[in-house]
Amino acid sequence: MHKLYDLSSRQSLEVQRLRFDPASVTFGVEMVPNPGNDMAASLQIHGENMPKLLPWNLSNTKPCQLAGLSTTMQNASNIKNLNLASNEVKSAGKLDKGQGLEPEEMSADRNSLCTTFPDKSTNISSILELFPKLLSLDSQESRPPTNFGIEAHKRLPTCKGSFFESDALKSLVLQFLRRYYLTYDSGDRQGLLGAYLDKACFSLSIPFNPEDPAPSSLCEYVKDNRNIKKLKDPHLRLQLLKSTKHDIVRSLCVLPATQHDFSSFVVDQWLQTERVLCFSVNGVFKEVVGKSQSSVRAFTRTFIAIPASSSSLCILNDQLFVRDAHPKETHSGLFIPVPTPASSSVPTLSQEQQEMVQAFSTQSGMNLQWSQKCLHDSHWDYTKAAQVLALLKAQCKIPEEALTQTDPGS
Amino acid sequence: MKASERRECWGLLLMDFKTYVDQACRAAEEFVNIYYETMDKRRRALIRLYLDKATLIWNGNVVTGLEALNNFFEMLPSSEFQVNMLDCQPVHEQATQAQTTVLVVTSGTVKFDGNKQHFFNQTFLLTAQSTPNNTVWKIASDCFRFQDWASS
Repeated sequence: MHKLYDLSSRQSLEVQRLRFDPASVTFGVEMVPNPGNDMAASLQIHGENMPKLLPWNLSNTKPCQLAGLSTTMQNASNIKNLNLASNEVKSAGKLDKGQGLEPEEMSADRNSLCTTFPDKSTNISSILELFPKLLSLDSQESRPPTNFGIEAHKRLPTCKGSFFESDALKSLVLQFLRRYYLTYDSGDRQGLLGAYLDKACFSLSIPFNPEDPAPSSLCEYVKDNRNIKKLKDPHLRLQLLKSTKHDIVRSLCVLPATQHDFSSFVVDQWLQTERVLCFSVNGVFKEVVGKSQSSVRAFTRTFIAIPASSSSLCILNDQLFVRDAHPKETHSGLFIPVPTPASSSVPTLSQEQQEMVQAFSTQSGMNLQWSQKCLHDSHWDYTKAAQVLALLKAQCKIPEEALTQTDPGS
Repeated sequence: MKASERRECWGLLLMDFKTYVDQACRAAEEFVNIYYETMDKRRRALIRLYLDKATLIWNGNVVTGLEALNNFFEMLPSSEFQVNMLDCQPVHEQATQAQTTVLVVTSGTVKFDGNKQHFFNQTFLLTAQSTPNNTVWKIASDCFRFQDWASS
């Protein structure tokens, strides 16, 4: 025999009172004994019968299977306040996101939410995951979920640029990279022999996109691609790891000619010991293919290097990862390559051009060499060159060497 | 160059290089599977994979030591990693004082709860800790970066 409860005028519902009422309720709340477990009860709610703003108090009841709730909660969006305090609620891990159960206030303190979650903070995060509209948990405000996502107390740290342990290491690494890429982009990579130890290691890899396993871009890198997630043949795995400096340089010479954008470099110097210096460089480069449209690639290159002298490094391990640049990476205002020494091929400037360079340098604070580069790239349109420079400054993309008055190649 | 240093350099040659590379690859594969599964599904166990003095550089943020790492990983939202690329190299003992070390490089996608999906690159330096029964690899250094970190 069902008892009918008229809940339309009630402000709160205390399940505990109903729980002990053996009669099941068809209007509003129905307590159904869970088969096979006398202690637990599934709570079924016929949402369309629920009055608005109903604080729903399950506190101090016998264990209640919350797992059953979401699937049986239909149209329960009226429930704004859910009190589960002192409840033992099981199997929260298997909870579906509440279909319609979206309370705005909840009390879950002293609630051992479920046996699979060992601690309170995980409890909280799982509750917050399930009830994204929660504004208050145990009377403490949670963050508005719209701003910070579902796990209100967790967030990603702010992303930052290059990391170096010290200014000295920064100088050392940048100087190394300048020298390295100067030769790398010069058209003849044989000069890199001196940069590697005899028994150095080098390997290269490109991304694997499950949706496009055989892309046509990056085809120049495919034959050297050492992605051991896909490559299982131990013989090939060995072969694709170059382990003498001659083999390494031979491999590098065969890769497409490049022009690296030094201003795009972001460096993480992640280890330093008395024996070794390790860093990863991220950046973009153009593949120089004659006068035709050149592709912009992005790369992450990891170096493990040892000090060769007080001011230079020698490479022990070199791993290069090449991918296509994302759209945002391809439109840097000025593709500033590694600075070339003044003595290398510099076109003769007219008197007027020389004067422009001098004026540009004085007015911008950049050295003569970089000023010339800027103007050259803007086809000697002074205004345009100034605009591009302003844009780069705003993006913090001016490398330090552009501002020094000494020869950057030294 | 001292005789002892000369010997050190050639030490790697005396060991079968092929075996060394093979060992490094197997260690890297196994380690990477464990690492990302732990990161995604058993986050609180993740710091067990790090050496006491390990350092993490996460999108330019430096985190050093187990306590800081613990707090860091607790603060990070839940994750779903997909690794599409893995490469590794043995690190010459010249750099490592005879501790077997492997450089591991990965790339793929990650979705942190409440955030958009990102492509990422990650570099690990793993050190072997041998016991009589087996070898356990632990992270000495970890460097992680979103490919689009600048617009995050």
